[in-house]
Amino acid sequence: MSKNRFNIDDAYLFESELSEDDRMIMEAAREYAQTRLEPRALKGNQEEYFDMDIATEMGDLGLLGATIDPKYGGVGASQTAYGLVAREVERVDSGYRSFMSVQSSLVMYPISIFGTEEQKMRFLPRLATGEIIGCFGLTEPDHGSDPGSMVTNAVKTDGGWVLNGAKMWITNSPISDVAVVWAKAKESKDAPAEIRGFIVEKGMKGFSAPITKHKMSLRASSTGELVFEDVFVPDENVFPDIRGLKGPFMCLNSARYGIAWGAVGAAEFCYQKAREYVGDRKQFGYPISANQIPQTKLANMLTDITSMQMLAWRLGKLKDEGRDHPSMISLAKRHNVGKALDIARVSRDMHGGNGITGEYRVIHHVVNLESVNTYEGTYDIHGLILGRDITGIQAFTPRGNDV
Amino acid sequence: MKFFVCIKQVPDVYAPLQIRDGEIHQDSDRQVLNAYDASAVEEALVLTEKHGGRVDVILAGPEKAHETIRKALAMGAEEGIHLQTESTSGQDSASYAHLLATFVKEKEFDVLSFGKQAQDTDSGLTGAMVAQLLDLPYTTNAVGLAIEGDHLIVTRQGDIGQEIIALPTPCVVTCSNDMNDPRIPTLKGIMGSKRKPVEVVQASSLHGTSLASGFTGEALTHTTSFESMPARKAGEKLQGEADEIARQVAKILSEKTGVFS
Repeated sequence: MSKNRFNIDDAYLFESELSEDDRMIMEAAREYAQTRLEPRALKGNQEEYFDMDIATEMGDLGLLGATIDPKYGGVGASQTAYGLVAREVERVDSGYRSFMSVQSSLVMYPISIFGTEEQKMRFLPRLATGEIIGCFGLTEPDHGSDPGSMVTNAVKTDGGWVLNGAKMWITNSPISDVAVVWAKAKESKDAPAEIRGFIVEKGMKGFSAPITKHKMSLRASSTGELVFEDVFVPDENVFPDIRGLKGPFMCLNSARYGIAWGAVGAAEFCYQKAREYVGDRKQFGYPISANQIPQTKLANMLTDITSMQMLAWRLGKLKDEGRDHPSMISLAKRHNVGKALDIARVSRDMHGGNGITGEYRVIHHVVNLESVNTYEGTYDIHGLILGRDITGIQAFTPRGNDV
Repeated sequence: MKFFVCIKQVPDVYAPLQIRDGEIHQDSDRQVLNAYDASAVEEALVLTEKHGGRVDVILAGPEKAHETIRKALAMGAEEGIHLQTESTSGQDSASYAHLLATFVKEKEFDVLSFGKQAQDTDSGLTGAMVAQLLDLPYTTNAVGLAIEGDHLIVTRQGDIGQEIIALPTPCVVTCSNDMNDPRIPTLKGIMGSKRKPVEVVQASSLHGTSLASGFTGEALTHTTSFESMPARKAGEKLQGEADEIARQVAKILSEKTGVFS
């Protein structure tokens, strides 16, 4: 027998490589997620319910915008720590991680990077405490993977901009106080358009955020639309300098990085639950785990989880060193969520009939990960991003046939 | 009041753990703050937040246990004292009690508190041993603490009901985890904890010191090996009419347990 350890949850011992700060943040996030979120997750999923106290609880602990400068309410945590928090929260439910990712990466991050000093001071401290909630509007009903074709537009007027259009599949929209919205801005009706970012606030005339009902996935978080009917947005609520898709894509890169980590947590949960279940349950006189097929399924899960952990951990280090590239994030998001979805489905199967009940919680991960696999760049679109880098040929636009 | 809270780093009981060849193997190597000690830290923080005072924590353990001290500092303790041992092997409740008593006997404090036991050994001896070595008043299994003048008012859970005891300070108390719900350190607290002082004292410099009782700190117990609890045998299901089942029960009690003999 080897004198060294083999950890069946962390086969390549990545946690032993974490800094003390990062590990302590991971432990605090785990303690919070397991003691405060897990007891709410069944109700959240069964009743399509997001407990608003979660926002201020996460804020009190410092889990919202943890990487942001302490001057604006963050704690200046590392990117690795941010990822580890996402892993712990998504171990409970992708819906809760989605809430946190949107607040941190899609609202606080763009305000901290693209915002004016006044915008930072006005919004970031309250977003960090969870006193106000934010959402991010890019996707439209007819423009998902191709956001450059968006139709939401803003036309310049005295002292501000007039916003028209609609956004769809917006996490947090019905509960949000502020929305970071990307729209095609024109100095006049016939002037050329360029994508700019707007901070739209609840209560602005002509702005509404209807809820999306009957979701069968991410039921523990709130999703809706953003509708703009001649909404006047004052100049002080517009990001001054950022232009084009670079703005939203920088935000998505940050969020996708968190998703790559979050998927690790969801997959670890499903694997550990399957391992426990087949170990405890006996059929034909023996534990199910004494059979070859369940064992190889568990081996496949651990192998995939180990690859996911390695990608997420290495990507975190690269981000902390400022050496990351968007395609590295595409690779990790695509791989980790795809594998997490496979693992969740196999875990559901290994739980037999019990796998379909909410009490065992695995089915919630299965249906949640269907969304996570699609949002923030679908599995296939990330394949095309990588394909473009590998071949030098973009394949987003079909070629060779008239369509 | 000045609190010294004695804390211990223990293996995370929620991580996979196996017994092989008579030894405990925790391959995850996940080490955490003993949950009972976390309650002792929490209660000391609550009392000093209300009445003023200071909470310092003392940990006896190897170098890697530093992270556990930082957790207590992240919760709000002001200073850590690390009585650094070579490893955890060869130590027992008595040797830890000797280290702690030797260190604190020259210090000023009002309350020396502990978790009522550690999650790894469940011995529950160290607090009482330290009280004995220092000849201080003490009580165990506290479920509530309050301060009145220079007394610590301890509500302790007894075998039947609760007792309320006024301990004159300085005193020793061990705390139950039923006492409170320990705070989770905030990220700000975690980042700030690395700027808090931790005094490192080599355990070897304390070892061998003769306390008033003459005890010099050698371990009094020796662990030979660990074994898993034997698995429970499957139950027996009795079927039939009530009279028949009653007869079967009586027969089993008579033959297998001897309660009627």
